[in-house]
Amino acid sequence: MSDFLINWLAMVPVFAAPFALAALGLLVTERSGVLCLAAEGYMLIGAIAAVGASLTFGGYPLLPLAAGAVAAAVVSLLFALLVLVFRVEQVIAGLALVFFCLGLSSLIGSTFGWTSRTVSGNPQWPIPGLSEIPVLGRLLFSQDLIVYLLVPLTALVAYLLNGTMTGLRLKAVGDSPDAADAAGVSILGTRLAAILAGAALMGLAGAYLSVVVAKIWVDGMTGGRGWIAIALVIFSGWRPWRALGAALLFGSIEALVPRVAASGFAIPQYFLFMLPYLATLGVMVWTAWRGGGGGAPRALGRPFLREDRH
Amino acid sequence: MADARFPLAIRPRPEAGPLARLAAVLGGLVLGLAISVALLVGAGVEPSALLDEFVLVFLASPQSAASVLFQAEPLMFTGLAALLAFRARFWNIGIEGQMIAGAIIATAITLLPGIPDPLRLPVMALGAAIGGMAWIALPALLRLRLGVNEIITTLLLNYVALNGLLWLLYGPWKDPVSGFPYSAEYTAAERLPSLGWGRVDLALPLAILIALAIAFLLARSRFGFLLRFVEANPAASGALGIDVTKVVLTAVLASGALAGLAGFVVSAGVEYRMTQSFFVGYGFSGILIAFLARNRPILALVVALLVGLLMVGGQSMQVFYQIPGSMVQLIQAVLVITVAASDFFVGHRIVLQRAEAAG
Amino acid sequence: MDLQTPMTEALTLTGIDKAFAGFPALRAASFGVRRREVHALLGENGAGKTTLMNVAAGLYRPDRGELRVFGEPVVLDGPRAARKRLIGMVHQHFKLVPTFTATENIMLALEVQNFAAGRLEIRRRVGQLAEDLGFPVPLDRPVGTLSIAEQQRVEILKALAAGSEILILDEPTAVLTDEEGARLLANIRRLAERGTAVVLVTHKLRDVIAHADRVTVMRGGATVTTADPRALSLDLLTALVVGEVVATPTARQTTPGAELLVARGLSVSAADGPPLLDDVGFTLRAGEILGIAGVGGNGQTELVDVVSGVRRADRGSLRLAGEDLAAAPVATRRARGFAVVPADRKTQAMAGDLSVSDNYAVGGVLRTAFGGAALDHGAMRRAAGEAVAAFDVQGVHRLGQKASLLSGGNAQKLVLAREFSADPKVVVVHSPSRGLDMRAMAAVHARLREARDRGAAVLLVSEDLDEILALSDRVAVMSRGRITAEFPAPVDRQAVGRAMVDHG
Repeated sequence: MSDFLINWLAMVPVFAAPFALAALGLLVTERSGVLCLAAEGYMLIGAIAAVGASLTFGGYPLLPLAAGAVAAAVVSLLFALLVLVFRVEQVIAGLALVFFCLGLSSLIGSTFGWTSRTVSGNPQWPIPGLSEIPVLGRLLFSQDLIVYLLVPLTALVAYLLNGTMTGLRLKAVGDSPDAADAAGVSILGTRLAAILAGAALMGLAGAYLSVVVAKIWVDGMTGGRGWIAIALVIFSGWRPWRALGAALLFGSIEALVPRVAASGFAIPQYFLFMLPYLATLGVMVWTAWRGGGGGAPRALGRPFLREDRH
Repeated sequence: MADARFPLAIRPRPEAGPLARLAAVLGGLVLGLAISVALLVGAGVEPSALLDEFVLVFLASPQSAASVLFQAEPLMFTGLAALLAFRARFWNIGIEGQMIAGAIIATAITLLPGIPDPLRLPVMALGAAIGGMAWIALPALLRLRLGVNEIITTLLLNYVALNGLLWLLYGPWKDPVSGFPYSAEYTAAERLPSLGWGRVDLALPLAILIALAIAFLLARSRFGFLLRFVEANPAASGALGIDVTKVVLTAVLASGALAGLAGFVVSAGVEYRMTQSFFVGYGFSGILIAFLARNRPILALVVALLVGLLMVGGQSMQVFYQIPGSMVQLIQAVLVITVAASDFFVGHRIVLQRAEAAG
Repeated sequence: MDLQTPMTEALTLTGIDKAFAGFPALRAASFGVRRREVHALLGENGAGKTTLMNVAAGLYRPDRGELRVFGEPVVLDGPRAARKRLIGMVHQHFKLVPTFTATENIMLALEVQNFAAGRLEIRRRVGQLAEDLGFPVPLDRPVGTLSIAEQQRVEILKALAAGSEILILDEPTAVLTDEEGARLLANIRRLAERGTAVVLVTHKLRDVIAHADRVTVMRGGATVTTADPRALSLDLLTALVVGEVVATPTARQTTPGAELLVARGLSVSAADGPPLLDDVGFTLRAGEILGIAGVGGNGQTELVDVVSGVRRADRGSLRLAGEDLAAAPVATRRARGFAVVPADRKTQAMAGDLSVSDNYAVGGVLRTAFGGAALDHGAMRRAAGEAVAAFDVQGVHRLGQKASLLSGGNAQKLVLAREFSADPKVVVVHSPSRGLDMRAMAAVHARLREARDRGAAVLLVSEDLDEILALSDRVAVMSRGRITAEFPAPVDRQAVGRAMVDHG
């Protein structure tokens, strides 16, 4: 039983990392008042770009991750164009982008023959000394670089939001674009930056998923994790530390699935596969029950137009 | 005083005429198609072949026209399903899950003994509609009672339905003959009867009938009027005494029922059994159809036909040019994006500012 | 004093034109303000006052015309440019981020560079400024939790902290009680004496006469005249503002009848806050108008929502001729003869994207007056056409045109036409003339009196004391969710005003 527990907990950070990165990215974008349903799409683009970079260049463990982040940021320019310039309803734009990315990633995968080819993955970076500690060393100090970076990254996002003028402007744009505009903050500029930065994080999440977790690309491999991340952000009230906590919770649920399957419990695996989705539903219901949606940026989803005469 | 830096300015336009609207949509479509052609040519298709596969195929022979119609049948149902939900301001992204639920119930009914043959299809259809409704009921209630975002809940339930389907296909319903993961074949009495024109079957007249009924309901009935009010302003509707919950729930359940029927139309009309991926892509196409048809039922039939054409053309592209099937999906997404962007020109005008001096 | 000398002007706008979507909002408007003066910009709603000042604050770019600041021609391509020119504006709808503290809001506006150091510096400076001006403001609470008067002070401090020497105040007293307004205007006078050029945008003649050094009158997007208010009579000013004489209301014709609507102990609480409605009761008789006065945000909206059925009361009863409707849905109340005109007519009473005809006919459709299953669209259009004519709804070119294209006043007339189409027994109206020009306001008031004279019980909730006094047979005052005082007609303005600020 303790083997089961350690094997399970050791996998939690790896499964939690994509959720955490995606949730932090979503949070950055949405704090600027832009509703981002495109998370699943950015993750797919990040995943295919990372696999492509890994297969093409090989050998550099961090290059695929960077490629994923950059690719997603590039695609997010299309979203920004739709939402900021053409003022397309943000729900429509987000959905369209998810389907666009589904098609594009699949097309790229089959055109370049990147589908279903294993990639070398990302090496573990055990921390000398600390990784020798029994149990804890395995759980906390024998992970890869991205996992180590989760806490500093969350701290950085939290600091940006709550301790800098950049964060103050970002929150003002998301809560009260009228007031931010009157204060001379560029609404479109701020939102563009938030869309790009958020997409890069979500692309990184997808890249991590393909080259570190799965070590392979298959069509639609994100399997709804982008949508789960959206639910996590609602659950966390758009706050970074809570988002990290929620990501760990869902990482532990996901990590449970292969463990339970491997341990030979007599539960059909397909019911186990439902678990993350049902858990997300449960979390959403619970959030709403508590009187949820609290902490949502007040202008979330609303386009800004100054010369509107209202 | 003109802005010296930028000669173009965006001006809102209060009410665009029908011509401006049409021009904008057509402009968006043309741009989207141009991008799609560029994508296909870039992927190695010869421009002349595009004309053959996507335009002439429909005129070439009654047989190819029939195959397009046949392909469009389930699309008509998912398009109508999407537009009913959108009319109630309910984002039903879970059409595929509802299709699965509908087809599961229909297939379960085929496994029941004791139903007389003539009744089998109607009972299956009814079951499928109920299955679809049941699958959308939870997100609908959560949204109406607790305000839970239905975009995410309907989508999550797609994955739950898919895993349920896989469990059935790899478990209890595995084909007893071949051992492959699909259900036993439907009997002749459980298949939608052909109309004697290619594979076109009873689903086509049924779709047309339903579209006409919806069009009449929306335009002429009291319920349609109230639904339009709820769509335009839910808060004011409630304050006026419209039972918003009831109106929305009715439209959304009907949407789920149509999606369930779409699942039935594929399993009983196309595959004659349940497979792992019979539903794939129909959900998004339904959303696209409702969006391009501006939530108008008759127009949705026409758009469904065009998407059917795109799919048939895509299949032969796949065969003759090794163009991946995902190209069709990408083209649909491009069309949504360009048409959505073109909407901007309905509500706004770009005007040229003269760089004249002040005064 | 020579009113035309340009040399001493701090800010001048000359020949400003501005159109929105082809509709001219400003026509060759001109205006100037000097240091050490309070210059009132007077006009009724829709006259273009706010638009002109938005041009001065860099929010709108004029189509034509010239701006000078301290004599120098300028082009303001945004609020930031205006601030650089030392122009500050306090808008009617405050430009504050409600989730931020006063300090954070001012940091944002002042474009502080370093967050931590900036916060300390701003807190110190603003605290000092507030003390100098006698402007108590909590600096560390989210401004969304402050009172309206406090939020307004934050706005003024924000402008002054930015070093503004030209301060534009848009309808600053509209959201305040008489007493708070008087205190604010005294403070503004002090500011002017210290050298600031103050523009006071207002539609209140009283404020102008008592507090302004000069007044410029606007009408229909043009500036009509600039003068010394002490040299003008109230009648002359009124005539300048309105352009024509508005008929005075006729005296009431009936005496109140039997008790019709009796509310007792109505209470509503927010999820985790103080009660929004606290044990509210009133008695409303047939054929009378009960006015509910009070400063905005003291439970009026909740009262209207609870009486109309949009919101359920936690406790209490609401009896219509003996039948308790406190738990009844909106539809039941309407079936019993309720008519409701909410404050925010465009979002709460109409569907702007639907046609004028649909927005009128929805009342009848709900009563199944046009058919129970299939609708008689011809009858709906005919009824709408008649109502548009009877209620003088202007700007309707086609009955099929979008309702959102109607002006505020005409939209309100359309809502009234619909609500009065079934001869209601109980009429609930909230701020019925907010945002309307004087003519539309007179028409709306006449309709309310008519309903009263036909025997309807009218509950009039308004933050505009003038409106309450002009219409009501009795007046009750709301404060912090309670009814704190009641006055029979004729009502003493001073007494009501005192009750409004007395938080007991």
